Amino acid sequence: MYSKLIRITILMIMVLALSAPAFSQSAGEVIPTITVRSVTQAERPVEFETTRLVVENMKGLGLDVVHRAVPWAQLIDEVWFTREGDDAWEMTIWRMVGRPERSDPDEFAYNLFHSSMAANGYNFVGYNNPDYDAIAEAQRAELDLEARQGLLFQAQEMIANDVPNVYFAHPSTPQLVRTDVWDIDTVVTQAGIGIHNFWTWTGLTPIGDQDTIITSTTSFLEAFNPLYIAGDAPSRVTELIWDRLMRIGPDGLPRPWAAESVDWESDTSVVITLREGMTWHDGEAVTAEDVVYSIEAVQSGQAPQYSPFAKAVDNMETIDDLTVRINLSEPSAAFETSTLAKLNLLPEHVWRPIIDDLLTQEDANAESIQEDIPVGSGPYKMVAFDVNEYVILEANADHFSPPAAEGWIMNVLPNQEATLGQITIGEINFLWEWAGDSEVLAQVAEANPNVALFSSPSLGMRYFAFNLRIAPFDDVAMRRAVAHVVPKESIVNNIYKGFAVTADSYVSTPIEFWHNPNLPDYEFDVDMGRQVLADAGYTWNDEGRLQYPAD
Amino acid sequence: MNRGALAYILGRIVRSLSALWVIATILFFMFRLLPNNPMASYIDTTFTAEQEADLMARFGLDRPLGEQYIIYISNLLRGDLGDTFKYAGKSVIDILRDDLPNTLYLTLTSLLLAYLIGTIGGVILAARRGTNFEKTSIVYTLMTRSAAPFWVGMIALAIFAFRLRWFPSSGIGGAGTIYSSEWEKLASPEFWKHMALPTFTLTLYLLGLPLLLMRSNMLEVLDQDYVTMSRLTGYSERRVMIQTAARNALLPVLTALTIGVGYSIGGNVVIENVFAWPGLGRTFVRAVSQADYPLAQGAAFIIAMITVTLNFLADVLYTLLDPRIGASSRAQLS
Repeated sequence: MYSKLIRITILMIMVLALSAPAFSQSAGEVIPTITVRSVTQAERPVEFETTRLVVENMKGLGLDVVHRAVPWAQLIDEVWFTREGDDAWEMTIWRMVGRPERSDPDEFAYNLFHSSMAANGYNFVGYNNPDYDAIAEAQRAELDLEARQGLLFQAQEMIANDVPNVYFAHPSTPQLVRTDVWDIDTVVTQAGIGIHNFWTWTGLTPIGDQDTIITSTTSFLEAFNPLYIAGDAPSRVTELIWDRLMRIGPDGLPRPWAAESVDWESDTSVVITLREGMTWHDGEAVTAEDVVYSIEAVQSGQAPQYSPFAKAVDNMETIDDLTVRINLSEPSAAFETSTLAKLNLLPEHVWRPIIDDLLTQEDANAESIQEDIPVGSGPYKMVAFDVNEYVILEANADHFSPPAAEGWIMNVLPNQEATLGQITIGEINFLWEWAGDSEVLAQVAEANPNVALFSSPSLGMRYFAFNLRIAPFDDVAMRRAVAHVVPKESIVNNIYKGFAVTADSYVSTPIEFWHNPNLPDYEFDVDMGRQVLADAGYTWNDEGRLQYPAD
Repeated sequence: MNRGALAYILGRIVRSLSALWVIATILFFMFRLLPNNPMASYIDTTFTAEQEADLMARFGLDRPLGEQYIIYISNLLRGDLGDTFKYAGKSVIDILRDDLPNTLYLTLTSLLLAYLIGTIGGVILAARRGTNFEKTSIVYTLMTRSAAPFWVGMIALAIFAFRLRWFPSSGIGGAGTIYSSEWEKLASPEFWKHMALPTFTLTLYLLGLPLLLMRSNMLEVLDQDYVTMSRLTGYSERRVMIQTAARNALLPVLTALTIGVGYSIGGNVVIENVFAWPGLGRTFVRAVSQADYPLAQGAAFIIAMITVTLNFLADVLYTLLDPRIGASSRAQLS
């Protein structure tokens, strides 16, 4: 009787002894299920597929992962407004689109990662690094190009080491042009943007009778207002109607436009001389007062969206009819790109009465103004528009650089597939917007001798973002491990079908001057990912689930 | 009209108005409960908390929900649907005023065609009962009735717009066309050419209901004694079919017409998007996806108003056509 008890006791002791190593390691808790968010398959099939692939790979690290696909508007809502708390987002796919003024890395370098933007700005990942803040601020004020390049290289390296984001692609947007209507040698590819740019719209030369650019958009034309940044499609129109002192050239660098010259007297003082003989679309002359007013209007508090771009301006004085001196409150490296090439020139005689009236009102500002026929000084003039249907522009023959085409029409066409049919039969002759499978456009161009395909990598990027405020992604090891399971090459080749280049930074590889070519590489290798975790003290339980390091 | 009928109609008016109030209330809360945010489309790298607060105040979204609701309902009573969040300088009424005629042209034309063709087709099918023609026609009708209008629209586009090039593919006018008035639009052959494919698709979508209904009514009526009597009298088969049977079989089809209106609105939303037809349905879809609450509420409310009004008219028409309805309501009232 006793012997049986003793035997059982010995057995129990042996079992305990054998399992002791497991206890002595005293692993942390199993990492709870992680939700990775993305847009829906219907909206953006490519981003959806990428997320699905990465979610599968993350399971190889021992994580339990679910993929939550929601419409883009909802995704923005969830990520932007639930940064903390129990239902905070953990990891999501994200996108930044290429815009001309983003050719200068300042916007991304500062707004995406500066800690002042973490509470309710675009630093929604919650990156908080005083060293990074210092560099992001220093590059803003650094006017020496080489020195600024060095600072931005450092900034990119910090981000690559801390991995608040895993960049995987700079997509190329395939675009189509009818070759029986346009001289395709006059199509201009703007670095990091594509062919739907100011230089193409003004330079495109007809070869036959058809001399109007006819294109379409799936979005609506909400507003044509020089003090309001509407969607992508209306922005294409705004840049044609309103001139700017400088424009971002095809090379991605700002060049004088309405300004004949831009002369820096000191780090904080610039003299701008307007071209002679410019007129507004209503016939009035463009003057130095208009230039001053254009910036004052933005600073009036009536144009909140644009006001960040005029922040650097301290005061202005007109020297003569065509000359203005602008004094800055502090040196600003991106001033030409993000102010002179960003702000629209407004006719004071049109906008002063509007703004003065708005200043007396409580709940309205200049963003909600829509002129019946907008007046600018740009190379195209507004003929007519209907927010639900079309916008029709005609060439401004009096412009100092009149467009080669006679007119420019954009129709609202929500059915994307129908635009394909339209370019095939020539109902439209320029297709710039395409969210579907890139290969489909390539096939259309191949099957149709009158349609040419253009494609170049964007300065926008696609990436996975982590919420650094909460576990498990508050640990850099965890983020680095995920970086190892994102197969960039395979995503670019198989999901993007080659219509993209791999990414490793928020500065796009086509922007060669600013892109740091020597960033750490997180090779695609699940075992390396597991090793990173093991080195950081993470363990796996019997079912292979990843556990936090013991504290 | 007797007193019973009058009471019935008054009752209907009260019911229609309360239906609209309930709909307006549901719309108000529905769009606010959807997981979307009107701020989402403003968010950009330079978006700040001040901007957000500013926009919320401008849209009135900083006030408590109850207060927003009271403002909304009192504006609605005055015929004011508010300002859109997204379109600069436009009120909801401005946008919907442009959209409404386009939707009505498309819907009414399609309904008319569908019920005309459907009724006549139903009589013919009933007359040819048991033939191969009937069997094939029913199969095809069931196919068009169950096919998604989105798919039918795309097929119609592929064939008639892009292959045969008989009709333009989208919008209400060619590139650069500006109609200065509704009259100019209606007088323009261009407009009707653009309406062809959407009308075709919507008609096909609506056709099944009246056609099948008319056919089965006919078959039922043809069994009735008075039809047999009519035949025995020696009237021609054609006369029996049309004058005796069809007239009696028609009444339920008219009932279905009011249902058809609601049905066609559902089709409109899809078809307007396929053909870029600038109507209420398309604006509605857009407004919902952008969380433009006032516009989405406004568009949905106008659609609801059309449906409720037509249903009301159908009820009134019935009282006039069929005195029994008034009588039964009197019986209920007493």
